[in-house]
Amino acid sequence: MASLSSIENPAVGIVANPASGRDVRRLVAKASVFHTTEKCNMVQRALTAMASCGVRSAVMTRDLGGIAAGVVRAMEAHRSQTPNPWPRVLFLDLPIEDSAQDSVRAVEHMLELGVAVVVVLGGDGTHRVIASRCGSVPLVALSTGTNNAFPEIREATIAGLAAGLVAVGAVPRELATVRNKLLRVRMNDEMRDLALVDVCASNDAWTGARALWRAEDLTELFVTTAKADAIGLSAIAGLTAPVERETPRGVRLRLCPAGQGVMTVRAPIAPGLIARVGIAEVSPIYPGKECALCSDRGVLALDGEREIEFGPDDRLSVSLELDGPVTVDIASVMKLAAQRGLFAEAAAAPAPALARSWSREGEGAIAAKPANTSN
Amino acid sequence: MARTITFQQAISEALSQEMARDPSVIVMGEDNVGGMGADGEKDAWGGVLGVTKGLYPKYGERVMDTPISESAFIGAAIGAATAGMRPVAELMFIDFMGVCFDQIFNQAAKFRYMFGGKAETPVVIRTMVGAGFRAAAQHSQMLYSIFTHIPGLKVVIPATPYDAKGLMIQSIRDNDPVIFCEHKMLYTVQGEVPEEIYTIPFGEANVVRDGKHVTLVTLGRMVHVALEAASNLAKNNIQCEVIDLRTTSPMDEDTVLESVGKTGRLVVVDEANPRCNIATDVSAIVAEKAFGALKAPIAMVTAPHTPVPFSPDLEDLYIPNAAKIEAAVMKVSGYKG
Amino acid sequence: MAATLSREDLLRAYRMMKTIREFEERVHTEFATGEIPGFVHLYAGEEASATGICLHLNDNDKIASTHRGHGHCIAKGVDVYGMMAEIYGRATGTCRGKGGSMHIADLDMGMMGANGIVGGGPPLICGAGLAAKFKKNKGVAIAFVGDGGSNQGTTLESLNLATVWNLPCIFVMENNGYAESTASKWSVACKDIVERAHGFGMPGVMVDGHDFFAVYEAAGEAITRARQGGGPTLIECKLNRYFGHFEGDAQTYRGPDEVKKLRETKDCIKSFARRVTSAGMLSQAEMDAIDKTVLANIDDAVAKAKAAPKPSAKDLLTDVYTSY
Repeated sequence: MASLSSIENPAVGIVANPASGRDVRRLVAKASVFHTTEKCNMVQRALTAMASCGVRSAVMTRDLGGIAAGVVRAMEAHRSQTPNPWPRVLFLDLPIEDSAQDSVRAVEHMLELGVAVVVVLGGDGTHRVIASRCGSVPLVALSTGTNNAFPEIREATIAGLAAGLVAVGAVPRELATVRNKLLRVRMNDEMRDLALVDVCASNDAWTGARALWRAEDLTELFVTTAKADAIGLSAIAGLTAPVERETPRGVRLRLCPAGQGVMTVRAPIAPGLIARVGIAEVSPIYPGKECALCSDRGVLALDGEREIEFGPDDRLSVSLELDGPVTVDIASVMKLAAQRGLFAEAAAAPAPALARSWSREGEGAIAAKPANTSN
Repeated sequence: MARTITFQQAISEALSQEMARDPSVIVMGEDNVGGMGADGEKDAWGGVLGVTKGLYPKYGERVMDTPISESAFIGAAIGAATAGMRPVAELMFIDFMGVCFDQIFNQAAKFRYMFGGKAETPVVIRTMVGAGFRAAAQHSQMLYSIFTHIPGLKVVIPATPYDAKGLMIQSIRDNDPVIFCEHKMLYTVQGEVPEEIYTIPFGEANVVRDGKHVTLVTLGRMVHVALEAASNLAKNNIQCEVIDLRTTSPMDEDTVLESVGKTGRLVVVDEANPRCNIATDVSAIVAEKAFGALKAPIAMVTAPHTPVPFSPDLEDLYIPNAAKIEAAVMKVSGYKG
Repeated sequence: MAATLSREDLLRAYRMMKTIREFEERVHTEFATGEIPGFVHLYAGEEASATGICLHLNDNDKIASTHRGHGHCIAKGVDVYGMMAEIYGRATGTCRGKGGSMHIADLDMGMMGANGIVGGGPPLICGAGLAAKFKKNKGVAIAFVGDGGSNQGTTLESLNLATVWNLPCIFVMENNGYAESTASKWSVACKDIVERAHGFGMPGVMVDGHDFFAVYEAAGEAITRARQGGGPTLIECKLNRYFGHFEGDAQTYRGPDEVKKLRETKDCIKSFARRVTSAGMLSQAEMDAIDKTVLANIDDAVAKAKAAPKPSAKDLLTDVYTSY
């Protein structure tokens, strides 16, 4: 069991969900298939990248899908290499239930162990369950699910570099991270659940196969962030009333069958699925204000998965909050790192100064940085 | 109206005529069309030795190539048969039965019985048998006795182009699973075959040569070799009665018993390996039911208890020839007790 | 609009699952008396899978099952009286006593048989799908396979063939965690059988096999796709069996209290009842009434089976061939 004594800081946690990417969108839309082997490769790429930034330990989840097993095999191969290309990798000794609880428990333990960053490989669902437990520890959110709304599709090596830079404190937290919005769902006066991107009510009676793909059944949509280039339910808002990640408000849309309402939008609500959705009303939602649902029966989907069946006897409300999880802004981190020459090493002999006139940024100099700023 | 065509053409004609008559007849097998998915000629092969060539241009989607997945496509043919089609599936070489045998002997053969008489599985599995092609151990066997052993299967092995066409048409029309064995050395043999459609019933042996001295029971290619031996023996005034079994399940015991009743001497010729083959089967039936008629012990002429060798000289030693048959006939003829 | 489940559908689903459960529980107790010959393999715990799938089917559609076939038979409409008599080996059985538990079939209802050979079903289902294509009757063919059968060559070949020939076939992998006494965690190389779908060029969906609604919805999409000529799908239902591999299996390979916990926490019928009552769709009274008739039916079926005549000596030799 990874314990406080065996963790050498800086430490990064890695949660790799082997279960993502199995749902019905592979059948009703053209959602990607994400092989376990690729998830394992991503973890390995990230570990190498983190080590190169000076991360000393990595704490990983165990799983039955072969991800951890693949990492262990690679560790065997590294034994003979000097220097070892990876940080010290420790595995959490937790019971595996093969459910979302595995990820939740893992994150709680990683926080106890004092990891500086948690790298998450998963879909919207994985990130959603982790979000309520990760406190202020920055997440590197990597997409391995059904073409997601929240986590990024990002090359794992770069994600590992960014995670490493943040973990070792090479870039200031306030520049490297973003606090995300979220939506809280209350049911019958109790906090029921949360969503990171969208909450959507539909006419379905049952949670069924979870995903939502029948546009005519959707009745109401709340989004934290709606970008025009996003895939998923938030695209309904993204293409009509976009709202950026940094903007401290969200959007609420009352939906109706296509052709009715004030307008109809053709939106990519699932991979390869462009559906016509009617919009009856659009309004902004502000932090802290509880909005009651307009329909009195149906199912509520959180980040694209039907989760909560409700009827006329239930009271449901949704509110936008600004205290969501903190995520690492990988693009900004890498830009900062380049500007500060964090990856440049001093040359053995003085090198000719590289002209920066051709660079767009025009700040600082690439060459002639002393070695001790490299990490 | 009869004309001379080859054994292979006779089978092809049977398939084509039945497909024209009955839309539920479909054909499938590896390379039965040939060229699927490739850029060149469609119907490039028409079966590895051309038996199904010409069917695809006529019947299109009813003639199907398969991946190399015997379990799957032989099983699919069987499943389609229970669902109302009349598939003719090719198990290219009987030697490949190992990779699909369950579907044949545990599924197709047993459905009718296990399901209380409600299933009908009208599938034909065409398969190549026999040595002489220098195709070596895994492409030259005569494994029909294994199928004969299984209740629920019917096993057919024609020796002539005429029988090939009639028995194939009968096989397609039969409502039980039929294993139709085509000896690869017979494909080019020519014979008189009527243009019109006709059938030959199962369980009827054919007396291809009358004789009063010795009964020669045989099947497949060995029918021709037995006739050659009989012709040689006739020069020494030994008259052999040559019986072509044509089907081993059901098998025509009566014709054999009647002949042995007449001659009192039996030689069984089977190209298969000696243990538990058709020769032992026929011998046991005759010993049990016509013991009193026998004037000499029964002789069997078979391949040795070895795999089929590759080298031509060795393969020629493996396959029973006329000389071996003649020696056996001489032995039973000369037996004095 | 989603294929919504009407009250009639929900009642039918409840009756189907309850019939399967009570049938299996009864066979379990009767088998213990020693009166039932041979072997039985019970489906109790897995009802939502057979029901969620078969509720979509008509008589044109065909299914093939495994040795654990009672649930699929009932879900496809095979008569419970005939099934019970068959299990007792009586002449009034669905197969006239000549098949037994592992070979119950009713081709008129599109039930191509329980199968004593692991992996025996998938190739036959490819054939049924092929026949449906030729007949142009929009029929689908569904193979139920266990986690053990998912490793068998016949299954893998059939997945490939179904894609290559674009067959209206659905392969339902019922992963109950054990192939006889061997855990599927150990014997299946990939974590989830659904991962294999990708390798065979067909979409794969994994659902909680205890959740009737999840199975029903995913199956509905797969069946619609197949009927429209969209080709095969693989559905993995993760579920649990309450009884052993066969009756008589002491199940020492399972953790202590494992089955007890499952009956308490993973009962697909109880959770179905909870959900439909809290949604106000069905009343507990209606379901209680169904329970009564189901139990009475099964009681009667057992009594009739025990009293039914055994096959006669001449039945030994009949129906080997249609004609010989």
